[in-house]
Amino acid sequence: MEHRVTTTIPADLPLQEPVQAERIRRRARSVRTRDAEDRGILGIADRRRTGVRTGSTVINVLLGAALVVTGLLPLLWLAKSAITPTQDTLMMPLRLFPNGVAWSNLERAWNDVHIQNFFWNTIVMAAGSWAVQMVVATTAGYALAVLRPAYGRVLTGLVLATLFVPAVVLLVPLYLTVLHPPLIGHSLINTFWAVWLPAGASAFNVLLVMRFFESLPREVFEAARTDGAGTFRLFWSVVLPMSKPILGVVSIFAINAAWADFLWPNLVLTDIAIQPLSVRLPQIQSSTDLGVYLASLTIATVIPVAIFLVFQRTFLSGAGLGGAVKG
Amino acid sequence: MKSPGKVLLAGAAVVATVGALAGCSSGSGGGGGDSKIHLVVAPVLPGATADALKALAERVKEFEKANPDIDVKAIEYQWTGTTFAAELAGGTLPDVFNVPFTDSKALANNGQLADITADFKKTSTADKWNKNVLNVATGDNGKIYGIPWGPYAMALSYNREIFQKAGLDPDKPPTTLDEIRQDAKTIAEKVPGVAGYMQMTKDNTGGWNLTTLTQSLGGRMERVGSDGKVTVTADNAQTKQGLEWLKSMRWEDDSMGSNFLFDWSGINQAFASGQVAMYMSGSDVIGSLMQANGFDQTKYGVTTYPLASGSDAGILSGGNVDVVNVKDSPEQIAAAVKWIDFYRTQPTVDKDAAVKNAQTLKAGNQAVNAPTLPVFDKATWQQNQEWIKPYANIPAANIAPFNTGIFSQQIVPEPPRHTQDLYNALDGVVQAVLTDRNADVDALLKGVDAKVQALIDADGK
Amino acid sequence: MTTAASRTPRRTPLTWVRRGGLSTLVFLLPMLIVFGVFSWTPIVESVVMSFQHTNLVTTPEFVGWANFAAVLADPTFWIAVRNTAYFAVLALIFGYPLPLIAAVLLSETRRMRGVYSVLAYLPVIILPVVAVLLWKVFYDASPNGVFNTILGWFGIPPQPWIQDATTAMPSLVLQATWAGAGATVIIYLAALRSVPPELYDAAEVDGASIWQKVWHVTLPQLRGILFITLILQITATAQVFLQPFLFTGGGPNNATTTILLLIYQYAFQNSLGGAYGKATALSLMLAVFLAVLSIVYFRITRRWSTE
Repeated sequence: MEHRVTTTIPADLPLQEPVQAERIRRRARSVRTRDAEDRGILGIADRRRTGVRTGSTVINVLLGAALVVTGLLPLLWLAKSAITPTQDTLMMPLRLFPNGVAWSNLERAWNDVHIQNFFWNTIVMAAGSWAVQMVVATTAGYALAVLRPAYGRVLTGLVLATLFVPAVVLLVPLYLTVLHPPLIGHSLINTFWAVWLPAGASAFNVLLVMRFFESLPREVFEAARTDGAGTFRLFWSVVLPMSKPILGVVSIFAINAAWADFLWPNLVLTDIAIQPLSVRLPQIQSSTDLGVYLASLTIATVIPVAIFLVFQRTFLSGAGLGGAVKG
Repeated sequence: MKSPGKVLLAGAAVVATVGALAGCSSGSGGGGGDSKIHLVVAPVLPGATADALKALAERVKEFEKANPDIDVKAIEYQWTGTTFAAELAGGTLPDVFNVPFTDSKALANNGQLADITADFKKTSTADKWNKNVLNVATGDNGKIYGIPWGPYAMALSYNREIFQKAGLDPDKPPTTLDEIRQDAKTIAEKVPGVAGYMQMTKDNTGGWNLTTLTQSLGGRMERVGSDGKVTVTADNAQTKQGLEWLKSMRWEDDSMGSNFLFDWSGINQAFASGQVAMYMSGSDVIGSLMQANGFDQTKYGVTTYPLASGSDAGILSGGNVDVVNVKDSPEQIAAAVKWIDFYRTQPTVDKDAAVKNAQTLKAGNQAVNAPTLPVFDKATWQQNQEWIKPYANIPAANIAPFNTGIFSQQIVPEPPRHTQDLYNALDGVVQAVLTDRNADVDALLKGVDAKVQALIDADGK
Repeated sequence: MTTAASRTPRRTPLTWVRRGGLSTLVFLLPMLIVFGVFSWTPIVESVVMSFQHTNLVTTPEFVGWANFAAVLADPTFWIAVRNTAYFAVLALIFGYPLPLIAAVLLSETRRMRGVYSVLAYLPVIILPVVAVLLWKVFYDASPNGVFNTILGWFGIPPQPWIQDATTAMPSLVLQATWAGAGATVIIYLAALRSVPPELYDAAEVDGASIWQKVWHVTLPQLRGILFITLILQITATAQVFLQPFLFTGGGPNNATTTILLLIYQYAFQNSLGGAYGKATALSLMLAVFLAVLSIVYFRITRRWSTE
């Protein structure tokens, strides 16, 4: 992609006065930096025009209203309905507490539905998936990008190939594999391993980590080697500490994917005791009173939203970084 | 600043510990290291109320006291066709679970259930069984593969409170399809926001209900020729008549509400929350309505589903069969049969067991006298009703219309071949009729014929 | 053990170990095991199973192309293809331009950008399952349903939403867009912030209006990321499962049965043992289609990118 690089300095600056040109350039540069900080499509000159100003305020307000309606109102409705009696939610869903508040919904969501158990299961499931993915991605990335064995090309190719295979292709045989895993005597169904282990087979993670390790300066490795560092030492004390950013990105993807997974846990975790939220909530829909059900959905939503609000920067920059990395 | 390495290690350690703890699969219990026989039984549906679970725990304690060498763990479980075959192959099924009448024979013939003939013959009631009822649990080889319980006939359940609100007499429920239509219309007009009548439409229950409707009018979805060949005849006059009836209620009277995608548990919930006034389901559904939906049984009414006149018109029946995991050891199978006999059969024949069971159920606010059909014979059934009368928690008047009418109804069996596939194909027909004003019923039914016939023919038999 | 004739030591297992070959292998073990057992082998097995007739009891028998033929002969298959294409197209129309427009507008706000970003991303944070279940309540087709009540305020009659074959798929797409657009907005936002401001300066020098700046600077700069999100969205919508499964189960009358849902039904719907051969055959067909689509897509876009 080519850039048409021009500057704000007129191109026909007299060449005989380099010093003066330099001073002008420097001033322009500082002006430009100030511009660069707060300009996007609209520049300073644009923002001074009243037409643009009013237009942009109007759009700002409309955008804000739209975002509040689509992003905030559904969640507020959910929270409100969690403590509204079922009949009111059925008959007059948008009125605000016409017959008072039903705190019992929350209590029953806690005591009858045991929403906290499924929450815990979700956390355990996500934590295990994260751990397996981290182990697989970092060790494989290290071996392929830093140690670079002769057969590494082949392995990288094999990993890359799986990137283009949609997950659905694995659905049936993976299920049968989990039913009859090699070496282990009994099936992994209804254990968390049935979710954790397949999660580790993520080519995306491996390639991400590989690319990052490849971009690390090899001199650091050489230096560590000459200092007598063995392979493991190199991994543990040199490569890993330098990889915090990429590990953060991979972690966000891993936890996000594990958290949201539905089809696979639905298939392999049929024992109610270890089902995560995403599997359990649809199952109890028909046997749970609507008010209690909405209260359960609310509890299942509050904690991730709270975590998000506290760590917004990490989430949003990670999400954006993901896009940049993908690009 | 924690190094990433340490974080990874700590994470891995936590995960490994939790994994090891959670790693024990909760499949069938084998030897537990002690000399007891361990059974995992599955007598209640997921989402069972706390009361139901308490009642169940009482019964388990009772059984364990009488059989100190058997340890019973009761879990919530719903048998679904979806993953059954794979669960069986993977060995994660409970030791005792129940399957519907429609599937028990096919599963038995497929070698997917344990043969319990020897232990069954040891039970006290082995000879008293109604041949037709026991037949569903018998394989083609004559061996017994399960113990049936709670047989029911299809019935019309209705909400007495809504009837009263609409000015209808709850003790005089409709007795013909036309009367159902009239009452539904009245309810839709007088009680806004309530569907007068509705029936199930998805996850194979749509076909199940439609088949019931067809057979109540005298039609048949499948016909068996004298040579044993099965022909799919979904495209018959009675099915079309039934669909016409649904169509007119939906599009002319607008008495079926606005939501049309219901499976068995979904319509139960709609009924329990007062959104549906009348619907077709098994006669014992009040048990589930109380167990899973916490429905107030004083509002419940049930009557026989109307049959047309004519010798072909009959009511579909169904039931449950408690079966044993085919991978269990002989000791486990013997223990399992003892449990099933205790939990399901004894309360119907032994006075003490019946009374005990009724008391426990009542204490747990579970249905004591949900309408069921005789497992043995009518006399035994009536005697049982007498025994539990003092504990009955469903008002007798509410279930009288069904109990008095059912004995004069002819019971007809479900279509014999590829029943679930047939029902699945019929789901689409009912959904189309209820959601598309211009649904081409003829074409849809012919499509069902073709699709299911191909499956039957492919069996080669 | 060197002789005068050889310069390099002979490669023995011992030298391999000493040179770190063993530890490399040790590091590769987790990946080899996990990928081997849970990725490569299942992929191969999937191909093999698509040519077999399997129940889980007897040994599988080889049936050649019979599974593929059976899938192509199944009328539900063609319905599923049509439905999946419909979903993908609708999702493109509603869900592709929307995040871009929102991101461009967002990038121009100054004070409220943080708050707006959070609001946009909120729907992405809640569990996808919870999002569907919540909208299922919204989509109650009775006049008292949440959306129907809101429509009532504007005098619009109640809509059947997921209860009618015509409106079911658009309802699913609407929810899917709501749940996913926020993530794309944030990605575009990051990409927009990395557009060099000098380009806008230069464009203004050339007298560009706001609209022209967007058209000639912003969009071309975003070309790379736009191309990628487009193919990613098409690939993802081609595999949609959650919405049809939880909202309608494929109904009414197969109006929302997608390819993934059909694969699930083939494999797991029959209690006597699923049609695993047909399920794997269909999943392979989908995979091949997506692979071909991606290759063609990248060929085309590469030509555009280099202009």
